[in-house]
Amino acid sequence: MIEVKDVTKKFGRKTVLKGVNFTAEKGKITCLIGINGVGKTTVMKAIMNLTPIDGGEILINGEKIHKGSYEKITFIPDTITMLPQMKIKEAFTFMADFYDSWNQKRAEELLEFFRLKETDRISELSKGNTAKVNLILGLALDVDYVLMDEPFSGIDIFSREQIAEVFTSHLIEDRGVIITTHEINDIEHLIDKAVLLDNGVVLKEFDTEEMRENEGKSVIDVMREVYRG
Amino acid sequence: MNVKFNNRDPVYIQVIQYFKEQIAKGIFEPGQEIPSRRELANRLKINPNTAQRAYKEMEEQGLIYTEGNLPSRITKDEQVLKMVREELILEAVSTFIHSVRSINVPLEEVLNLVEKEYEKE
Amino acid sequence: MNRFLKLVNFEFTRFWKLYLVLIGVTILFQVVGIIVESQMYLSRANKAIYEELVSVSDFISQYGKMSFYQFASTGWFIGTMMFCAATLLIYVFFIWYRDWFGKNTFSYRLLVLPTARLNIYLAKATTILLFVLGLLAVQLVLLPVESKVLQWLVPDEFRHDLSIEEMTNLYYLELLYPSAFIDFILYYGTGMAAVCVVFTAILFERSYRLKGIFMGIFYVAASLFIVIAPLLVNEFLLDNYFFENELFYMVIGAGLLVWAAAIWLGNYLLNRKIRV
Repeated sequence: MIEVKDVTKKFGRKTVLKGVNFTAEKGKITCLIGINGVGKTTVMKAIMNLTPIDGGEILINGEKIHKGSYEKITFIPDTITMLPQMKIKEAFTFMADFYDSWNQKRAEELLEFFRLKETDRISELSKGNTAKVNLILGLALDVDYVLMDEPFSGIDIFSREQIAEVFTSHLIEDRGVIITTHEINDIEHLIDKAVLLDNGVVLKEFDTEEMRENEGKSVIDVMREVYRG
Repeated sequence: MNVKFNNRDPVYIQVIQYFKEQIAKGIFEPGQEIPSRRELANRLKINPNTAQRAYKEMEEQGLIYTEGNLPSRITKDEQVLKMVREELILEAVSTFIHSVRSINVPLEEVLNLVEKEYEKE
Repeated sequence: MNRFLKLVNFEFTRFWKLYLVLIGVTILFQVVGIIVESQMYLSRANKAIYEELVSVSDFISQYGKMSFYQFASTGWFIGTMMFCAATLLIYVFFIWYRDWFGKNTFSYRLLVLPTARLNIYLAKATTILLFVLGLLAVQLVLLPVESKVLQWLVPDEFRHDLSIEEMTNLYYLELLYPSAFIDFILYYGTGMAAVCVVFTAILFERSYRLKGIFMGIFYVAASLFIVIAPLLVNEFLLDNYFFENELFYMVIGAGLLVWAAAIWLGNYLLNRKIRV
C-alpha cells in the first residue's frame, strides 16, 4: 500500500499541497482527480522523490522511499524518460542493465501489441507512440506499483483505445496503479478508487463500486457535489 | 461482447445482469464455458477486479460453477435457469405495469392489448 | 559498485563522439602546426642565408634553433590545449544540465534508478577525470611524435632536440605533467575537488532554482575561503606564527575538508532537495 500522509508542499510562496491524505492499495486502480494545476503531478513526483515535500510523509509498503524502492514502484510521466537519440532497443538494454525487475519478454510483447519496432528512434516517434514507449518502460518492470500521469492526454483516440486495453489486461492485475486525469469520462468504470483533489487537499476519497451500490452515484455525480458544494 | 455500462450502477452488478440476460435469451447455453476473468475484463473493457467480483457473485448465486481448475461454466441447474428467466420477465413486467398503471384502463383491456402485440411480432 | 561502473560507462559513452573530435582536432592542429612552423622557420633561414647572405651561426644566434620550445609557445599548440580545456570546463556544467534541458528529460530516469543517487554524482565526476586523463595521455603521446616530425623536417644544425622530460617541464606543461608523483596527486586532487565543488553548486541551482544560483555562488566562495583560511588566520590573526610547511599541510587539510563537504552536500541535495 502507498500511504500519503498529511503531505504539504510549497513552490516559492504558494502552498500547492496543504495536507494531502490518501492511500492506494495494491491490486487496485486509484485515480487522482482534479483540475489542471491542482497538484496531481506534484503528488506523484513526491511519491517518487522526484521533488521534495515540505511536510508529512509518504510510505511505500510501510517504508520511506530508498534506492531499492525503485524496483518496486515506477513512474510513467507525460514526458519521455529516455535519451531522445536512443533507439527503442537501446532503451530496453539500458533498463535491463540497471533494473533487476526488467522483464524483457513482456517488453517485447508490449512492443508488438503497440505495433512499434525496436529499431525506431525515440526522437522520431509521434506523440502517441512516445507515450506508448513510456508505458512499456514502466509496465515491463515487475513492480508492485505503477504511477501514470495523464496517460491519455493529448493522445489520438486510437492510441487511447490501445492504452486503455492495458488497464483491462493482466498487466494491471495484482499491481497497485495510481493514475491522474482530468478526463474521467473514458475510464470511470475502470477505476476502483477515486481521490478528489481541490485546493491542496483531498476533498473525498471513495470506492467507486461502493458509491454506485450504496448511493447510486457515478464518479461524476460525486465530483459535481463535492466541487460545487 | 458489446456492453454499454452506465456509471451509476455498480459495474459488477451490470455484468451479472448482462449474463442473466444472455442466459434467459439462450445465447449463453447451460453448461457453456465462459471466458476467464482476464479475458472477460479485456472483452468488456472493465477492471479485472470487477470481473473477479462479478464471477464471485455469480458463483455464489449459482449462475456459474467451477470444477477444480477447469474454466467456469454456465449452470445446468434447471431451477436456477427458470428463476433467471422469471426474474427477467418479472422485471420487464414490473416496468410495464409501472408505466401503464397511471393510465386509467381496466386490466382486461391491457391484457388484450398485450396479447395482440405479442401475436404481431 | 556494479551500477556505479555502469553509470560511468553510460556517461562516458554519451560524450564519446565529441571526445573523439577533441582528440582529432588536437592531433590534427598540432601535427599540422609543427609542420607549418618548421617550414616557416626553414624559409626564414633560407631567405637569410641565401638572399641576405647571413652566416649560419649568425642566423642561429639571432633567431635561435628550431625546437619544441618554440613550438610550444605558438597558437597551434596553446590553441588546442585551450580548446580542450574550455570544452571540458563547459562539460563540467553540461554533464548535469543536459539531462534537464530541451527535449531531454532523462533526469526523470536518472533519479529513479535503483542505485544510491550518490553514484550518479560520483560517476559524472569520474567521467570528467577519465576524460582529462585521456587527453593528457594523448598529448603525452603526441610529444615524441612532434619531436620526430621536427627531426624529419629540420636539419640537425638548425635543430635542438628536447627529451620528453624537458618538454614536459616547459611553461604550464609542468603543471599538467609534474615530475614528482606527490605533485601529481596534489594538482589533480585539487582539480577534482574543484569539480566536486562546482557539481554541488550546480545541484544547489537544480534544487532551489533562482535562489539556488545565489546559494551556489555563496557556497563556492565559502569553500574557497575555507581553503585559504589557514593562510589568512596565520597572516592577520597570528602574526605569521606558523612555518611554511605547517601552513602547507593545513591548507591541504582544509582542501580535503572542502572536498568531503562538497560530496556530502551533493549527496544530501540529490536525495532530499532535488527536483526534476
